[in-house]
Amino acid sequence: MPANLIPALDPAALPGPPWLFHVLWVLTFLIHLVFVNMVVGGSLLAALVGRTRPGARETQTFFVEVNGWAISFAITFGIAPLLFMQVLFGRFFYTATILLAWAWLGMLGILTLGYYLNYVAKFRLKAGKGAQGVLMVVALCFLTIAGIQVAINVLHLQPGRWESVAQQAWAALSDPTFVPRTLHFVLASVAMAGAVLAFVATRRAATSEDRQACEGMARFGIKAAFVATALQLVDGFWLLLALPQEVLRAFMRGGAATMVPLTAGILFGVFLLVVLSQITDPLTQTKKVRRIAEVFVATMVFMVLTRHQLRGIYLAPWRSDEQIAVATQWGPLAFFLVVFVLCVGLTIYAIVRAVKDRPGPGEAAA
Amino acid sequence: MDYPIWDLAMGGGVLIGLMSVTHVWVSHFAVGGGLAIALVETLAVRRQDPALRNLAKRSSLMLILVSTVFGAISGVGIWVTIGLVNPAATSMLIHNFVWGWAAEWGFFILEVATALLYYATWDKVRPRTHLLIIWLYAFAAYMSLVIIQGIISFMLTPGRWIETHSFWDGIFNPTYLPGLVMRTGICLLLAGAYMIFAALREPDGAARARMVRLMAGFQVVGGLVAYGGYRWWEGALPEAVRAVFLGDSPQVAVLGASRGRVLWSLAGFMVLAVFAWLLPRVQRWPVALVALLAAFSFFGAAERVREGARKPFVIRDFMFSNGILISEIADLNQRGILSKATWAARESDGSPVSMGRAVYRAECQACHTVDGYLSMRKLVEGPDADTLGLILEVLHDQGEGYTSGQYTERGHVATQNLDYPHMPPLVGTAEEIEALKAYLVSLQPAQTVEAAHAR
Repeated sequence: MPANLIPALDPAALPGPPWLFHVLWVLTFLIHLVFVNMVVGGSLLAALVGRTRPGARETQTFFVEVNGWAISFAITFGIAPLLFMQVLFGRFFYTATILLAWAWLGMLGILTLGYYLNYVAKFRLKAGKGAQGVLMVVALCFLTIAGIQVAINVLHLQPGRWESVAQQAWAALSDPTFVPRTLHFVLASVAMAGAVLAFVATRRAATSEDRQACEGMARFGIKAAFVATALQLVDGFWLLLALPQEVLRAFMRGGAATMVPLTAGILFGVFLLVVLSQITDPLTQTKKVRRIAEVFVATMVFMVLTRHQLRGIYLAPWRSDEQIAVATQWGPLAFFLVVFVLCVGLTIYAIVRAVKDRPGPGEAAA
Repeated sequence: MDYPIWDLAMGGGVLIGLMSVTHVWVSHFAVGGGLAIALVETLAVRRQDPALRNLAKRSSLMLILVSTVFGAISGVGIWVTIGLVNPAATSMLIHNFVWGWAAEWGFFILEVATALLYYATWDKVRPRTHLLIIWLYAFAAYMSLVIIQGIISFMLTPGRWIETHSFWDGIFNPTYLPGLVMRTGICLLLAGAYMIFAALREPDGAARARMVRLMAGFQVVGGLVAYGGYRWWEGALPEAVRAVFLGDSPQVAVLGASRGRVLWSLAGFMVLAVFAWLLPRVQRWPVALVALLAAFSFFGAAERVREGARKPFVIRDFMFSNGILISEIADLNQRGILSKATWAARESDGSPVSMGRAVYRAECQACHTVDGYLSMRKLVEGPDADTLGLILEVLHDQGEGYTSGQYTERGHVATQNLDYPHMPPLVGTAEEIEALKAYLVSLQPAQTVEAAHAR
């Protein structure tokens, strides 16, 4: 591909130091990923739990309830990383999205469909009706979105493939990392959703009258998390080996900066599998169930760092002549930080107050 | 312009327009609806009025479904669309206003969280807590409008930013406040127009009439504020922008017609709103529906005028709708447009017609399509080759008008003094312009038939 197909750097200076955008990008992406994992994994588990398993209906109800707000937060927290990414790598990102324009735009329609169908499933379950078919479509919607996101992400990293994708858009799926990368993401989602399901079931069991349903939920969650994590270890190495040779070599040569997060991520993944394999009765092993969530978060943090480093390595040859000017907008930056702290503070305050404030006996509720 | 070009039969501008109008209908309700629901529940608590409480409750599900679902997705949709259709302008806006967008995102977090909390805590928390949540929602939703209005209005009237490139000069531009007042009014009138349906579902006749009058009050006040804001906005526009859609013979006739629709739709809406306010007992859903459609028509037309009045720019006095900057006209006239539009250039095999097609894709396709919206084939079917050449020459010379400053009046390019005021200048070398002429001639019917016979 002629290198001049890469659009020129935006003539405007960066409105803040690059490191700050990288930090904000990774942090907000991490939060976004928590909600996305919940939505994708939860939708899949709700669709796959079946009808006859103990706690199946409760599992479906739990996930559609969670999705009701998790989808909103996944979108909300997706805005920030998208914003910061465009400041730093907009010219690569826009090109990839234009080359796959219909898929990128169509993603919004699929998202809308998945979101509203989740509400349909919610109301059907509330009315005592079945929602298996609807849940299958919801899961399919979110899997498709995952595929589109991965395709665009992989494409923006590889200007060398732009020409072939411009000729034939389906060529975007031919990258050797596409399948393992999509699987990597989907399996992580299933593992996280399974772990959360098990955690919630163990908490509910303490107060719920239907202990059998709680046990069914917890066992299903643990099993799903275990299978997904076991497959993840295989898929993770597949993904690593599918990386372009020069990227893999540069990554290995990165020393502690790149190898420590990757190794830590893999070790936490293995540890997660060990903890999961030790859980035989989730309702009595509540500490271990909670431990899963902690280990999962640690794994995710390291894997997100690795993902970010890989992006830098992929793009390094194409950015070697970048002369980035920085003119920090201190006032607007301070304004953002104040607003952000204020809004997060008010959000937490509102949630805490909503959880704690309950009318006393004889007192009116809103 | 140095990005790949997305071929879209309907034209990128139309897609952006469709997406934007759909989004603003929803997002402005999300703002006004929050204020209205907060006020209704406050009154319900103070007056111990169960009917008003039910109105707030009934409206809150719609607020969730509309605001946190459709509003959020269509908001991202605008971003996605402008990135596909005009990536250079999107990148420029993000580089200049990223902290503004990020601050808006902060308010959006609060908005989404409180909307979901509000709906989830009916019958569960004390009234004071519930009221706190909805007022926080209303505050966050309005503040996101306060910020985004700065970026939207900047594109039409960048004001002092052109000289200073300062974030605050860009946000607090000449049409910021008038536009904010107009949008505030629209939020209120849309809240009244939507929520009147919830009020009409009240079974008790007296309570229904009371609530219909309250919602009609929102419509009347909102309509008046929106009208005042709109006229103020028109008055704050530079003469060059006003000439696009105002006066006896506006430069873009269709925008002049849209401006007429703005005023007539608002007048029709106001008649129905006053009617509902005076005679709330006889209000019925078909009338409310007509009022809602009139509100949509007013707002949609106002957005159409605002978007269209930027012609020929995407960011007035700075970047043309095809992504070319005023500051790079001279350089591109020297180096050639295809030295920058590399994605378009790669499709050329060197023949004049294919080179001309590449120039067309680089400079014209942001607004035109070959056979669809603003069809180029239709536009060139009349003039002969010489006339086409002359038109292109005039368009090319207009570029010098921009760079020499001969059309600049009080910091604005006086586009009304140009021969083709709503067209960007034609930029490029003599060879490229000749090639474009060859391509346009090849689109003419006789040429198309000849080419088909030759095949």
